[in-house]
Parts: sequence; structure tokens; C-alpha cells
Amino acid sequence: MNRRKAIGGIFALTGIGFASFTGFKLFFEKASRGQLQNYENLLAELVDIIIPPTDTPGAREANVQGYIISFMEFCSSNKEYTNFYNGLNDLQENCLSDYNTHFADCTNQQKIALLEDLDSSADPNGIMAKINKKLRGRPFFSILKSLTVEGYCTSKLGATELLAYQPIPARYKPITTLQPNQKAWATS
Amino acid sequence: MEKTARNTFDAIVVGSGISGGWAAKELTEGGLKTLVLERGRNVEHIKDYPTAHKHPWEFAHGTHLSKEELAERPIQSSHCNATDKHFYVKDSEHPYIQEKPFKWIRGYQVGGRSLTWGRQSYRLSEMDFKANKKDGHGVDWPIRYTDVEKWYDYVEEYVGISGTREGLPHLPDGKFLPEIPLNAVEKHLKQSIGKHYQDRTLINGRVANLTEKKKGRGPCMYRNLCSRGCPFGGYFSSNSSTLLDAHDSGNLTLRENSVVKEVVYDAATKKAVGVTIIDAITKEELRYYADIIFLNASAIATAAILLNSVSESFPNGLGNSSLQVGHNVMDHVVNEGTYGTYNGLLDKYYEGRSPGTIYIPRFQNLDGNTETTDFIRGYGIQGKGKRENWQSKATEGFGVALKAQLETPGKWKISLGGRGEVLPNYDNKISLDFQNRDQWGLPLVKVHFEYGENDLAMMEHMTKASEDMLRKAGFENVGSYRNSPPPGSAVHEMGTARMGNDPKTSVLNKYNQMHDVTNVFITDGSCMTSAGCQNPSLTYMALTARACHYAIQQFKSKVL
Repeated sequence: MNRRKAIGGIFALTGIGFASFTGFKLFFEKASRGQLQNYENLLAELVDIIIPPTDTPGAREANVQGYIISFMEFCSSNKEYTNFYNGLNDLQENCLSDYNTHFADCTNQQKIALLEDLDSSADPNGIMAKINKKLRGRPFFSILKSLTVEGYCTSKLGATELLAYQPIPARYKPITTLQPNQKAWATS
Repeated sequence: MEKTARNTFDAIVVGSGISGGWAAKELTEGGLKTLVLERGRNVEHIKDYPTAHKHPWEFAHGTHLSKEELAERPIQSSHCNATDKHFYVKDSEHPYIQEKPFKWIRGYQVGGRSLTWGRQSYRLSEMDFKANKKDGHGVDWPIRYTDVEKWYDYVEEYVGISGTREGLPHLPDGKFLPEIPLNAVEKHLKQSIGKHYQDRTLINGRVANLTEKKKGRGPCMYRNLCSRGCPFGGYFSSNSSTLLDAHDSGNLTLRENSVVKEVVYDAATKKAVGVTIIDAITKEELRYYADIIFLNASAIATAAILLNSVSESFPNGLGNSSLQVGHNVMDHVVNEGTYGTYNGLLDKYYEGRSPGTIYIPRFQNLDGNTETTDFIRGYGIQGKGKRENWQSKATEGFGVALKAQLETPGKWKISLGGRGEVLPNYDNKISLDFQNRDQWGLPLVKVHFEYGENDLAMMEHMTKASEDMLRKAGFENVGSYRNSPPPGSAVHEMGTARMGNDPKTSVLNKYNQMHDVTNVFITDGSCMTSAGCQNPSLTYMALTARACHYAIQQFKSKVL
């Protein structure tokens, strides 16, 4: 596929796991907190590729980047903070080396290609992935995607426009017939 | 501290949780000037439910606790999240010693854990009250179902329990409000179980959520946000019900931030004369006097108070001539849970969020046909069916395709979890560490609890049975989490001051009165002689109401 995949394969065999030079270096020195605010624009770009605007708002408009920064800064484990921080830096580096530009300036196709590469390499069912997850926490893309989904589906725009939100149902209808294009409930 | 009109009451109730609230209501309505002591802060119904109306996007990081909040709550954090954490203690402020892993889940505030309870409400049956006698574990209960039956009626009518009448001898029917109905997949599982098994049935969970309005409360709005406190009074808590009625009687004095240090005993009269408290904020020591004392601090805390109430007459703790105080701790054995997805019924959905569950009542060792050699006694299974949504769906990829996956309801999924009866065992105990003390100078509680062989055999069995029922009903991806949660996780700790006929082997008599000190009553989970497999709060409430009526009668006839 591409250069990084091949490197990933070699590192995976050594048991160190997929890591670029930056990631490799920082694996041994955990990233210190409070840095993600500087990546807000990049995150806004990323979440909008994962959940793009369609007839309903995209993740950027729902400020999912803010949710991710808040979660990562205050709630994440040290391992996952480091993975996430390194992942963002790797992505920028790879973007520069692959496309000679910043992520924000890539074409939509290039952005999608960069994320697809990360998505398929983060095979959640592979044995190495499982061992890595246990030892090192979830990989970058897995964190990014799950927080994007969570941040979006709990945002006002996501919960009320992509999904159906009833703050006070008042009644319980245990069995209804699903209507064409009926949206899933935002909360359960 | 001198006894004065200001610090003297007819009755003192220690604790304001689900049983303390009942003691407060019954005693005050019976005409007794009653002081309720609560170690935590005040929580006023509705006013002090700060998250009750918050939308998902109004929490800084969703339901997640921050690292800092987690560090303060290494134990409680498995049971609370950002939406209800204010009703759980910070472990860092309230340490205890786990001699073996044991989760002591606590809510130190007016209302206690009645604010966050699971609301499952099932009667014990005649079989349960006879269980110890039948197989010789523990001591015999001094009461039978007929002694409690009318008290179950009494509390159910007040609390408001939704449920169906099923005619099961081992799970007696009660005074029910209309049930919370089953959804499509729950009905499907019910039908399948009816078809494939002779020995079991699936019923609507019996829950303390109001399907009809009661005086000043409810009905349930089907938000399924109960543990935040309900601004509609949709479920039963001390705060929404018993404490308000106690207040309205004009006989209630509620003192929050009052940590009870000990019950004070008078050797001359052979009665308790009052309690010593430490003000949680000022750390000042104060004494309150009363003719009758009810301990409703919850099973572990009540035992700790007794063990710390040392006198010449009771060197091992108040009313502990039997040396049973603190022993025979029981919880319910729970498995981590079984799940499966169902590919049919895809044209069906639901509207509103049910706070209810499904329940598969105990189906083992009921009679000759249901006997198993694997274990004695038995378990029931609780669960819930839903369609998967963004929280539970496994999604692929990203972009427009991901959005489409999130937007639509997923497959049906049912989760099941067993609740099994733990046998009374003297070795399972709480004790006090007088060398290590908390910020109020009170000795730390030590918990020593381990499941026995019978308990573990039941755990294995409930997992297999749950998987079997789902597979027979055509569920796919059936699986179970294999690591069982540590004891205490069911938050049903009980048995530390058991009832019994014999003062040599039990702490309380058939009216929950201490054998040794007749004006002290204990009606929280401490009193339980055996655990049954039913969620126990309803029984605590019924026994409390029963004991209060006895105490009031004794008080009025000047016996106490």
C-alpha cells in the first residue's frame, strides 16, 4: 500500500508496534498535558472528515474538536494521551512528506486517503492490535473516531438533527412500527 | 452533655436512606418526636438535583469522570458517572480497609442511596424465610412470610411498585401499579422461554417507578435518568416521599452532617439513652437523648456503630453478647453479564426510555422438578432489551457511510445479569481497625468477604443459563463477560446484625429489637438472616414499618 504500512509491518513484528520516529521517541517520554488546544484547527479538519456535513451538520460545526480536547486533557489515560498527541504529530509529518502540505490544505480526497490509511492499519481484531491496546492503550485513529462519534452524538446538533432526541418523553410506547427513514434515538 | 429539652426526643433514627426514611415517617406519624441524624449533607427533593434537567451536551466531557474525579473515587467510580457523582462519596474522604476486594458503594447525604437505587422491588417468599432452617446455613428467621405480608402490602401501596401479578409462590404478588410493558424483543424472549422451558418464565420487572400519579409525585416521564434525582418524583426515594411526610407530621427534626460515633448505654436501666455524634463540619461532639433508637445507617455502618459503642457491659460492642455483630455479611452474587443480538423485528422500535427491566424469577431448587445438584438456593436474572444505537453499535469506516450507520437504529440486543443468594457465613465480616482512624477520629471499617463455593457455582450456572435462553430464542453473537465484579458490586450488603430466636446466636428478635438492649431497633440490611436472591430494599422497608408500629405501641404503653 504505502511506505508507512510497510514500516508498520516491520515494527509490529518486533513487538514495538506501529510508530513513526516521533511516536517512537515519545513512547518513552510521555506527552505532557495541556498541548491539544494548539491542535484545535487540525482536529476540526479531522472530525469533519469523519463526520462530514451533509443534509445534517458536520462534526466541526458541532464543535466536536472542543469535546475531544476536553476529554483528552481531563479524562484520558496517560498512555492514550501520548498515543493521541503522537498520532496528531505523525499525521502532520506524513501529510508533509506525502503531499508536501498541511492537512488543512490537502484536497478532500487526500484527507480521506490519509485517514483511510490510519483506519485500515488500526485493525482492532488483529492479535498485535489487541496486545498493543492492552500495553499501550488504543491507537490514535481508534481514539479519534470513537470520540468523534461520542462527541457528535451527544452534541446538540448531532443529537437533535442526525438523531432523534426527546428530553422528556412523558410516555412509554413499548412497541412502535418503524417509520421510513426514522432516526435512532439519541439517548437510551 | 446534660440532657435538656432541646437535645431530647422520643426517638432517634440514625440514617435517612431507604429504611431510615421509613422509620422517620412511621415514628413521626405515630406521634413520636423524632430526630433523624444523617452523616452527609442535606439534599432537598428537586432543588438539589443539579443535573436532573441537563442535556447530554451540557456536560464538559459527556458522562466521563475526569482523571482527578476518578482518583478521588477509585471504588465508587464503577457505579457512578459525571451525571450522578454528587450522590456518591469520594473514597478519598471516606476510607475503609478491604481485607479482600469488596466494593462499599456509599451515598452520604439525606436520602442516602435511595436516590440512586436500582428500584427493583421483590418480596421474599415463605421459601426464603424457611431457607436457613431447611438446609442449616445460618440461623432460622424468627418470622415467616405471613408476619411480613401485610407490611409488604402497606409499603408497596405507599411506594408505588409497577408490576404484574404472576401467581408464583416463590415470588409473591404485591399491590402493584400497572406494569411497565415489554418491548418487542423482550416479548419475543418471553415467548421463547415459555416455549422452550417448563421451569421458568419471564416477567416485567417490578420497579418503584410510578406508572400512575401518586400524591404529589409522578408519574414517571420515561427519561430513564433516575439516578440524577427525579424532578417529577417519578420514582421512590426518601427525599421525594417518606421524609416529606415525616416533615409534614410536625414531629421531625432532621440534623444533617451528623456522624454517629456511638450509642450510649446505661447499665442501670439496661437501655440505650442516646447517641453521641460528631458534627461532620465543626468536628464538635454532641449528644442526643431518646427513649427509642433506630439504627438505619446501612449494614456495614450500623455494625461499625455497634462495634464502636463499647462499655463495661458490652466490651465487644453494644448488644453483641452473641458475638455475631459484624459477621455473616452477605451481598448478592452477580455475574458480569450475558448479551446477544437479534436480527428480527427490525420494523419495530419504541418511544420513551423505560426505567424498567425484565425479570426471570428464580427457577432452581424450588421443588423436586427444579432441583440442581450444583448448588443450593438460587438466583434470578434481570435484563433489558434495546435496539443498538451509536453507543453500542460497531461501525465501519468514516464519512457519509459512518453517518448513515449512526443515524439508523441497529439490531436488537438483550443484556442479562444474574442475582444469586449468598449463604450466611460467619467468616464474612466487618470489624474495626482502632489503630487507623478517619478524619472524625473514628476507627476505620475493615471488610473481609469472600464468595463461597456455592456462590461461585451459582455464578457459573447463571451465565450458562442466560446464554442458553438467548441462543434458544435465536439470538446471535451470544457471549458473556467472564470476569465477575468484586463482591459488594450488587450494593446489597446485609446480615451484620441478624434476626433470630436465640439471643446466643443472633442480635435482633422478631421485631428487629436488640435481644440485649430492647430500646434499640435495627431495620436496615443488617437485620437480614438470609439474603434471598431478590433485591432487598422492599423487605427493609416492610420490616421497618413493622418494627416501627411495634415500637410505637411499646412506647405508648410505657414499656419502652
